[in-house]
This record gives sequence, structure tokens and C-alpha cells, in this order.
Amino acid sequence: MSLLSTYLEHIVKVLPDLVTGSLITIEITSFALFFGMILGTLAGLGKLSKKKLFRYPTIVYVDFIRGTPLLVQILLFYYGIPGLYSNATGNSLNFDPILAGVIVCSINSGAYIAEIVRAGIQSIDKGQMEAARSLGMNEKMAMKEIILPQAFRRIIPPLGNEFIALLKDSSLLAVIGVHELLKTGQLYISRTFAAFPVYIAVALMYLLLTIVISRLVTYSERRLGVSDRN
Amino acid sequence: MIEIKGLYKRFGDLEVLKGISVDIKENEVVCVIGPSGSGKSTFLRCINLLEMPSSGDIIIDGQKITDKDININRIREEAGMVFQHFNLFPHKTTMENVALAPIKVRKLPKEEAEKRALDLLNKVGLADKANVYPSALSGGQKQRVAIARALAMRPKVMLFDEPTSALDPEMVGEVLGVMKDLAQAGMTMIVVTHEMGFAREVADRVLFMDEGTIMEQGTPSDIFSNAQHERTKSFLSKVL
Repeated sequence: MSLLSTYLEHIVKVLPDLVTGSLITIEITSFALFFGMILGTLAGLGKLSKKKLFRYPTIVYVDFIRGTPLLVQILLFYYGIPGLYSNATGNSLNFDPILAGVIVCSINSGAYIAEIVRAGIQSIDKGQMEAARSLGMNEKMAMKEIILPQAFRRIIPPLGNEFIALLKDSSLLAVIGVHELLKTGQLYISRTFAAFPVYIAVALMYLLLTIVISRLVTYSERRLGVSDRN
Repeated sequence: MIEIKGLYKRFGDLEVLKGISVDIKENEVVCVIGPSGSGKSTFLRCINLLEMPSSGDIIIDGQKITDKDININRIREEAGMVFQHFNLFPHKTTMENVALAPIKVRKLPKEEAEKRALDLLNKVGLADKANVYPSALSGGQKQRVAIARALAMRPKVMLFDEPTSALDPEMVGEVLGVMKDLAQAGMTMIVVTHEMGFAREVADRVLFMDEGTIMEQGTPSDIFSNAQHERTKSFLSKVL
């Protein structure tokens, strides 16, 4: 049998596993983006707050997350925190790897989204807030009704980039045994030693997913951008 | 109706308003003219507290709005503001722009707010544009919507901050027309403007501001035909 047909055979065999792994990857990434959006919006607003009580914690949060590798954050959370817990209490604590993955990725993307949201809010003309305030709206109402809806339309492209980065970075969860796309490929390789075709297949799966996401982003950008030309 | 006493405003070391004192009566139309940088806009923005006065008192309808514990939002509900750059909400239709604050702030039922909005859009001649977004409007149309939006809150006073300065010349007339109608209907108005024709025709009183003070004030004919101050004369000679 030629090399090519051996490789193709491996790819056909591993493909169902990779599809299953992709679903886990998509699931983790989607949840992380969802919670990351909530966290990021709050932190973005916190960064712009006049109150130190809100501003300083968000600065520490964003700086810590952006200044340390995601891989270290994953290991710290998955192994470090249960270790601390058992040292302190004598009891053991185990996280579900997928849940741990979602939590760490949410916290991680929240910090990046915070910066995106902050920049988005600051890009809205000051006159919008003044107009809203001059109509008697309080700051919270003006933020919710006027500033944030405009800011969110404007930050769709950088959010799309964040979505793509997050999807690729979720491959790091392989180190704590999450059966996402990369890990399912590695498991197959450990049984068959077919490194080249499987890693190629894994890479192509990531490529496929990121292309789909970037198309979706372009589409929603066009849909939402219609009324926004001033 | 509006009493302003010894109003000062500083931005850091820069003193923009240096002791403004003026009373404005109900139904009065006051035009504020003067060279750029004279503090006209800052003066106007202090009246609805978009700028916080550094010192001095502003009393509207017997209520001292410069008190620390006053509800700023309440004050702003009563003072409608029209901006040079319109500041319409681009993600809302014309109708939503006008109806939003009555619904959210005045807690008006949606149908009633929209009825009021349509009525106002009709008055400014834009009822047929109720369902379009601001991006589809010309500058003059945008500013007329902005006036309708401010009026929807039924304010006691309307503040205009150079409402025609960002417009193409052929659109100035339609906006001034709406403002004229408003003045005739008895609205109390303070208008910062470079439209001397409008000031002469519509104003009950003209304030000439220079370097953060009111240099001179009087009826339009006092100011435009019989100015006392050298500064006023030299400004008017440049703009008339």
C-alpha cells in the first residue's frame, strides 16, 4: 500500500473522533464566549467607571489575565486550586475538565473582551451621551439604551477575532484531558503512531471552524450595520 | 423664570465664564451672540448642567439647580437641548428618537408617546419620515427631528447651541422656520447663534458675550443699530 492511501485510511478512521472532538471544542468556545461577553462587558464598564472601587479590580483582572499565558492559567486553575484546597482543608477537590475549561476560557476571554468593550464605548461620539442626558436619562439608562447598542455593533469585528483566537486557544485544554479536537487526535495517534495525517486533519478541522466563524461574523456585521451609517 | 447669578466656570486654569448674571422671563426668546471662544456654549450648557458651574447660582422656576443634592435628571427633563451636531441616535428610527425619552423617562405608555411623537414630527414637517433611520435624513431634517425629540419631553425652556452652524446654507431656513414657529407659540428659548437675521427678527433680547462676560444686552434694535460697546460694534461689523 502506498503512503498516501495509508494516510487517507487513517484520516477516514480518525474523522468521526475529530467530529466529536470538534463539538466539544465548539461547545467550550461558545460557552466561554458567552460568559466572557458578560464578564467583559462588566469589566469594560468597570474600567471606564469614575469609582475606584470598580476601576481598580478590573485593572488588576485585565492585567493579570493578559500578562500571563493561558496554559499557565489552565494549569493553575485545574491543578493549583484543588491542591490549595486539599492543603488547606485536608479534603480533596476535583474539577470536571470541561467545566474547568469553560471557566478558565471565560475568565480569559473576559479580560480581552473588556478591552474591546472599553474601546467600543469610547469610540461612540460624546454627543450621544450628552443628548441622552439632556433628555433626562440617567447614566445607566443612557448606557443601556444609547451607548451600548451602538458600541456592540461597532465591536463585532474585534469580537469575531476574539472568538477565533479563543477557539484555537481552547486546544490548550488538551493538557488537562479535555477530549476536545486536538486531544481526540492525540489519542488516536497514541494508538496508531500516525502523527502526520492526523495532525494535518486536526489542523484542517480548526481551519474549517475558523473560516465558518469569520463568515458568520462578516454576515452579522453586514446585517447589523445597515442603519448605522451616519 | 430663569435667574442666573454670578456664574463662573473654570476648566483647570482656564476661566471660561467670569460672573454671568442674567434673568430670563417666561416666553422670552433670548439670542446669545459673540465671537467664538467667548463662552456662549458653556453658558448654555451650564443651564442644563451638562457643565457643572464652578460657582454661582442658577434658579429655574424657583428651584436652585446648583444645589448639591438636586436631582440633575429632573432638571434636564425641563430644559430641552438642541445641539450643533444634532446627536440623533443612529440606531433608532426617527419615531424612536422622539418617543424614547418620554417612554423611558416620563414613563408614558408607548402608544401615547408615539402619538405625541407623530404629532411633533408633523409640526416639524417630517411625519412621512417617521420610520426611517437618521442616516437617511438631510442635515436640516436631522435638526428638525432633534427639535421634535427635545420638545417631546414638554420642556419649560428650550436651549439651542448653534443649531444651524453645521448645516448646508440651503437647509438653514427650514430649521430657523421651525424655531420661529416655536417662538411664536410662546416657548421660552435661549439660542446661541451666528444667524444675526434670526436674532434680529425673532429675539426679544440679544446678549452679546465676549471673554466670558455679557458685554452688552438689549433689544435687537439696541444691539444691531445702536451698540454702545466698542467690542460689540467691532464684532457686528465683522458679521453683518
